[in-house]
Amino acid sequence: MQEILDFTGGPLFRLSFLIMLLGLARIFFLDIYNAVEAYKKAGDKKLAWGDAVKKTLRWMFPVKSAFTQRPIYSVISILFHIGLILVPIFLLAHIQLWKDGIGISWWHLPPFWADFLTLLTVSGALALFIGRIGSKGARILSRKQDYLWPLFLLVPFVTGYLCANTIISPGTYQFLMLVHILSGNIIFILLPFTKIAHCVLIPLSQFIIALAWKFPARVDEKICTSLNKKEAQV
Amino acid sequence: MRTNIITAEESAKAFKPTKKPDVIKKQKLDVRYHVEDCDIHDRPRRFLAAFAAILKHTNYRFALEHFIRVSTKCSRCAVQCPVYQATGDDRDIPCYRSELLLSVYRRHFTVAGSIRGRLTGSGHLTDAKIEEMAEHFWNCTACRRCTLECPVGIDHALITHLGRFILSEIGIAPRALVVSTREQLEGKTGNTSAIPVPALKDTLEFLEEDMKEEKGVDITFPLDQENCEYLFTPAVSDFLMEAETLMGIAAVFKATGGSWTISTQNYDAINYGLFYSDRILERVIRRLYAESDRLKAKSLLIGECGHASRTAKYYVPVHCGGDKARPVFHIMEYTYRMLREGKLKLDPNVVTETVTYHDPCNIARQGWIVDQPRHIINAFCKNFVEMTPRGKENICCGGGGGTVSIDEVRPYRTLVGGKAKADQIRATGAKYLIAPCANCKKQLRELVEDQKIDCEVVGLHDLIYKAIIFDGAPTDNQNSAGKG
Repeated sequence: MQEILDFTGGPLFRLSFLIMLLGLARIFFLDIYNAVEAYKKAGDKKLAWGDAVKKTLRWMFPVKSAFTQRPIYSVISILFHIGLILVPIFLLAHIQLWKDGIGISWWHLPPFWADFLTLLTVSGALALFIGRIGSKGARILSRKQDYLWPLFLLVPFVTGYLCANTIISPGTYQFLMLVHILSGNIIFILLPFTKIAHCVLIPLSQFIIALAWKFPARVDEKICTSLNKKEAQV
Repeated sequence: MRTNIITAEESAKAFKPTKKPDVIKKQKLDVRYHVEDCDIHDRPRRFLAAFAAILKHTNYRFALEHFIRVSTKCSRCAVQCPVYQATGDDRDIPCYRSELLLSVYRRHFTVAGSIRGRLTGSGHLTDAKIEEMAEHFWNCTACRRCTLECPVGIDHALITHLGRFILSEIGIAPRALVVSTREQLEGKTGNTSAIPVPALKDTLEFLEEDMKEEKGVDITFPLDQENCEYLFTPAVSDFLMEAETLMGIAAVFKATGGSWTISTQNYDAINYGLFYSDRILERVIRRLYAESDRLKAKSLLIGECGHASRTAKYYVPVHCGGDKARPVFHIMEYTYRMLREGKLKLDPNVVTETVTYHDPCNIARQGWIVDQPRHIINAFCKNFVEMTPRGKENICCGGGGGTVSIDEVRPYRTLVGGKAKADQIRATGAKYLIAPCANCKKQLRELVEDQKIDCEVVGLHDLIYKAIIFDGAPTDNQNSAGKG
């Protein structure tokens, strides 16, 4: 058992983490590269930069937006995201692992807050899942991954919480820890290839939509040529 | 924003088919608007070919790539869509509408989608899906409110805009728009309402006589003058339907001594390209701009029309030289500047009734023209009440995105698209509803009629015309107020 744990927490973790980093970097920089190319082609280079910055900040820190429309859903979603982002990065036990492995460490969450945020995220994920299956509008939009993600994200949070806070036999502990690490690794690998990619792409959205309305100059003739419509009536 | 879902009876009326079953069968297209006889064979292949050509030559691809990655399907946009609020039909949720096109993009234009599609042998574009797009993209009024509320920043309006563009390339676009545009670009009269030059001149002369009679001042519409400050181009329908707006604008120029002209070669700023084809949009813009070259005007001035102003303001730079292109202004920007500089005087005792203001989506959503008209209104209207929400978050009149020009969908526009707006107007209890947009005016007049709201829809310059003061020639309050 210990060997399996060492393997999943060692080489497998390193591989998954690398896939996540490279994958996220790929889509992030690809997005920027594509945007720069589009900007070069745009007939009008004047963008409302200030407005885009304002909207980006509004949605990255959605304090104001939360209470204007669908407040309950919004608040649950925000609380869910806070724990989801903060706990894995600022948990003392995780930082200890980084310190042991590569010798760097950073500020950690007080244990009470780590537990509290974990429980908040777990209940948030459940609420979002129930909200999704409960709402007719959301159901028609949902793909498989939309139902599976909130449930799957629960796995490392619940197992991590149990390992840290309950008195269990060493065998159970090892098993839960294995599930915790494995599910974490799988999430890392899936991150760049699923909708969770929004975690790095959101800061670019408002710039992209502002730019997308700036069409390239004089495309009429090119499209007509491609589609054999040069002589066609309007 | 909340409005009630329409009743089953209203729904039946709003969605009543306007075409005969045999026409639908022949066209293989069950939509409420009329299309021209078009090639129905092999539509999916031709759709994909058009999609590919558009992706190749335009900038849409990078946005679609971004959208398919970030979309989380949260359904938050539903709360902002006036159409969904009225129908309660889940297929009217903006994100659902967008997914129609995004799924085609994912399946046919991404590597992962192609591989998955081939392995499972499913998900490819079908005639049924094209029909669904043809219906749902034209249910949208292109008001762009949903974009305000998308947490991950998907521009559903851009996707609908692109979807309509691709559909138009395979012959699926409302005939009303296509035929008007054909007259504008290739017809004898060169404008969407097919008004010939002699009729234009007659109309303007008639209006000049009217103004002389009513205001006691010689006010003219200068035609084809070179080297003017402003080349003024309204939506051409104003010459037929909005005489008071045009008289108000002429009066403002008279009172402020502005240098302006109207071209007799092109007096139509309407640009239906915004609603169904970027290619058409480009052609109309270039034609409009060429007129400012011919007359050596310093800038372009667009009348009270939302989409014409937006297309000119944002696409003259795109197609006519970027920074170096002549600037484009909306008439309310001019009037506001004149008021601020003290060149325009308005009598505050003429318009005493309750007045409210409707923000046209195309000029307000991006925050371009929100405050200027309010400053003007507050300068002379005593009883100004605001609607909520307003400005950048305004609610669409229900006839946006070109739908107002499609007469066969009037019941849809006034029962579904404009339902939330009707609630808003009713709540103000206003006598005058100011809507500085040719499309909004037509739609709102039909809306207040069909929804039985007691209120008169006017342009901002209609009221200015009543209240304007000419130095040395005082207004005849009695006369102009009585006309209301």
